[in-house]
Amino acid sequence: MPPVLEVSHLSTHIQLTKTVVQAVGDVSFHLDAGETLGLVGESGCGKSMTGLSIMGLLPNGGHVVGGSIKLEGRELVGMPGAELRSIRGNDVAMIFQDSASSLNPTKTVGDQVAEPVMLHRGAGRKEAHDRAVEVLTLVGIPRPKERLGDYPHQLSGGLRQRVMIAIALSCDPKVLIADEPTTALDVTIQAQILALLDDLKTQLGMSVLLVTHDMGVVAGRADRVNVMYAGRVVETAATDELFHSMHHPYTQGLLASIPRLDQDNRRRLYSIPGAPPDLTSPPPGCRYAPRCPYADEKCQAEEPTLVEGGPDFTRNGAGGSAPGHAFACWHPVAGPVVLEAGEDQGGSEGPGQGDALLEVDHVVKEFPVTAGAILQRKVGAVKAVSGVSVRVGRGEIYGLVGESGCGKTTLGKVIVGLETPSAGKVRLLGRDVFAARGRELRKARRDLQMMFQDPYSSLDPRMRVGSILREPLAIQGVGTRQEQDRIIADMLREVGLPANATERYPHEFSGGQRQRIGLARALTLEPKVVVADEPVSALDVSIRSQVLNLMRRLQRAHGQSYVVISHDLAVVKYLSDRIGVMYLGKLVEEGSGDDIYHRAAHPYTAALIDTIPLPDPGKERAKTEVGIRGELPSPINPPSGCRFRTRCPRAEQRCADEEPQLAAFGAGHVAACHFPLQEPLEVASAGRGASGHAGSS
Amino acid sequence: MTAYILKRIVSAILVTIGVTIVTYLLLHIISPSPGRAVLGLHASQKAVRSWNKTHGYDRPIVVQFAAYFWKLLHGNFGYSYKEDQTVAALLAENVGRSAYLSGASLTLAIVVAMPVGIWQAIRRNKPSDYVLTGAAFTLYSMPSFFLGLLLIQAFALSLHWFPVEAAQQTGILQVIGNIRAMALPIITLAAVSMAAYSRYMRSAALDNLAQDYIRLARAKGLPERTVYLRHLLRNSILPMVTLIGLSIPALLAGNIIVETLFNYPGLGLLFITALQNYDYPVLLALTLIGAMATVVGNLLADVALTVADPRIRL
Repeated sequence: MPPVLEVSHLSTHIQLTKTVVQAVGDVSFHLDAGETLGLVGESGCGKSMTGLSIMGLLPNGGHVVGGSIKLEGRELVGMPGAELRSIRGNDVAMIFQDSASSLNPTKTVGDQVAEPVMLHRGAGRKEAHDRAVEVLTLVGIPRPKERLGDYPHQLSGGLRQRVMIAIALSCDPKVLIADEPTTALDVTIQAQILALLDDLKTQLGMSVLLVTHDMGVVAGRADRVNVMYAGRVVETAATDELFHSMHHPYTQGLLASIPRLDQDNRRRLYSIPGAPPDLTSPPPGCRYAPRCPYADEKCQAEEPTLVEGGPDFTRNGAGGSAPGHAFACWHPVAGPVVLEAGEDQGGSEGPGQGDALLEVDHVVKEFPVTAGAILQRKVGAVKAVSGVSVRVGRGEIYGLVGESGCGKTTLGKVIVGLETPSAGKVRLLGRDVFAARGRELRKARRDLQMMFQDPYSSLDPRMRVGSILREPLAIQGVGTRQEQDRIIADMLREVGLPANATERYPHEFSGGQRQRIGLARALTLEPKVVVADEPVSALDVSIRSQVLNLMRRLQRAHGQSYVVISHDLAVVKYLSDRIGVMYLGKLVEEGSGDDIYHRAAHPYTAALIDTIPLPDPGKERAKTEVGIRGELPSPINPPSGCRFRTRCPRAEQRCADEEPQLAAFGAGHVAACHFPLQEPLEVASAGRGASGHAGSS
Repeated sequence: MTAYILKRIVSAILVTIGVTIVTYLLLHIISPSPGRAVLGLHASQKAVRSWNKTHGYDRPIVVQFAAYFWKLLHGNFGYSYKEDQTVAALLAENVGRSAYLSGASLTLAIVVAMPVGIWQAIRRNKPSDYVLTGAAFTLYSMPSFFLGLLLIQAFALSLHWFPVEAAQQTGILQVIGNIRAMALPIITLAAVSMAAYSRYMRSAALDNLAQDYIRLARAKGLPERTVYLRHLLRNSILPMVTLIGLSIPALLAGNIIVETLFNYPGLGLLFITALQNYDYPVLLALTLIGAMATVVGNLLADVALTVADPRIRL
């Protein structure tokens, strides 16, 4: 059977004012009927541009400059506009990453889903809306008829993504291009959406081109995987083959850079040095050569082509690779990296009990919800954090995980004093941070610094890096100007930036470099506690491991305490000595990385771990359940008793009546659940109340 | 929604009362009594004092203001001694003509600026965009009296297409019917807003064109025209709604210049005449009307936005 979609030697360029970005170069692949093909790579590798080239939706200045795209034998490149439009949204449909911005805010869900049906099927309004109800049911939207009149902002992120899928499916496409379909979603919702896409594919017999940066997402869902780097497909193979016996060093490096849950966190993460090349002037030979540990002169001079068995048969004999496994490399590797390269960084000094540096004591943070015209009555409150107690020892890294809306970021802001708690206390070295005023408050602030998530918006674009790093020193009145210069120079050296960075502006740096600047800014004052809010979630995998290694190295060198906030359990587990899991404003479990990962007592923790897509096809396929059902309840009216009970498979009446207290499950391991997955240590400890500090028992 | 509107009306009333107090006080400082102006420069001090006494201008300022305010509540704007008419009658006579001039200009500005702005956004950085941008900046930077003079010179004096003066009829319907005479004043007044609106419209449309939902609309296979009309237009108009509401006071100020230039008997011309004649009751009344128009314009813009944007629910 001929492939549904055949892309051969596709090249796409994007014309900028003065330069041309060679976004996609000589990319060939095919997509068979009913198949899911994963297209993975880091940002800027051309994976999205490949998808957009197929759709004919390239951004301004973008052109397909060579090659062909055939859909069931029909050539799409150079097809007249009207004909292409009759295929777009009809035979080939696309879903995008961000459902919040991809749906028109001023049109109802019904109209938006019905639109392609009216366009391609010539259906009337009534008929098209009937079809809309049909596809909305198909994508698992409850009470679809009532949703027709809703506007996108009235739906949750997960529901909006389902609506976008419904739009794509409304005309029964043969090929669905899913561009990062779950990147903007929480892991529990991500698992639901990925399962839905899989179901729909089988049910409707579609072919899916799954474009993503997440190796974990393709591992469980794709039949074959194309790995892209700098506009080229560098390796393609069946999923299992690719994950277990990859031949391209980039694939190997990419997989090794991902922090894993089963990772020994005393070892350095493998990381690919450098950054992807500038595609306005790509290097002449192999585009990965500048970052590749195996590269020699041949790699720099001659570009290897993507050939089954590799471009250099004589060297590798082609014996080791399965049919359909092609790669573009002169010096292929065999299989995953053997993780002995990472030297032991030395274990942490352990949770420094006895001298708790930072104490978060029953902190509550509520944001009022008001109503009423003239007199603003408080009608309710968003209960962002509801009585959380955490102790962080000297030199300890405390990880805080949870889905968006669980209150982890709010708690982080309370810790550094950006938000005032509604109740409860934050103590640093035994002194109440919020009791301080004036000079003392400013001094307290010096010891509590924050590293932000978005390296693009958290640095003032009009300030040079030197001024950005000097500002905290100037505010705190640290040293003379010469001393400040010296501190800044030392700091830049420590985070691995050139000394002349002080003269440059943030936009001249890459995302990874900016995050280094953000870290340097947090560290210049030598704070006692650094709160890092999603420090690497905006970064690509290969850059992410560089920053994670840097954070660990600096933490070990300076001995500060860190509070690392992330939705990514693997990142938190790699960095942290202890981990707290939050759900809807409550701390539900706390323990060491191994406690959380191997001996989770709370069903939420266990489910959260289970839903994280692993870059391991075998483990991913073995997962049978979708993980956590439903969506996060509103923090304005959280469920009574245990807040997780509405989504918990073990919930009983008691969970609604009585709020579970933290109970000990081991040294430093506590969880709040009536029906835990492990047996608690002693019944008596259940009465200790929500304050149960880890490890003190 | 109703509660919100009520709240806004209450605050609008409070703002208007505040403006009334401030304006009244300021005018009182400049001219405590119209007596001198009414009786003439040669009248004796005694005559002026006795005129003040008869007309209540010797009372404390608070009492005078209270009396004025009380009358205001009953629709009595005071008496213009210069025109020998009640201010209310003067306003009633002129308000229709001014409203027509302002309304027609505003409509013209919106009707032209919206498609122009969208067109420019679609064809951004192409020659047609540059030409229109140049035109917009030229109009925007040109004072309306100067533009008016240019138009009069070119189209009235040289080409004789339009009369030099605006319509002089008293009936509002006749004025509206006299399209030839009203064309130049309306265009002159519309020009500046037109230029400003088209710039805003262009940038709003550009912002929206970069949004993902435009890409999704294209991904559905919609032709470009439909993408623009169905998905781009409404979203791009949203920021304009507020802008138009806020530009109402500017339109009133524009009336003063254009009415004077084209000798069009409206509130603007009335204002200029009153200014020259030191006719304070009229000035006071017109300032209050300006304040009210501003407040009402804002209110209308906010309410209109809640209708146009489903994300804003009050």
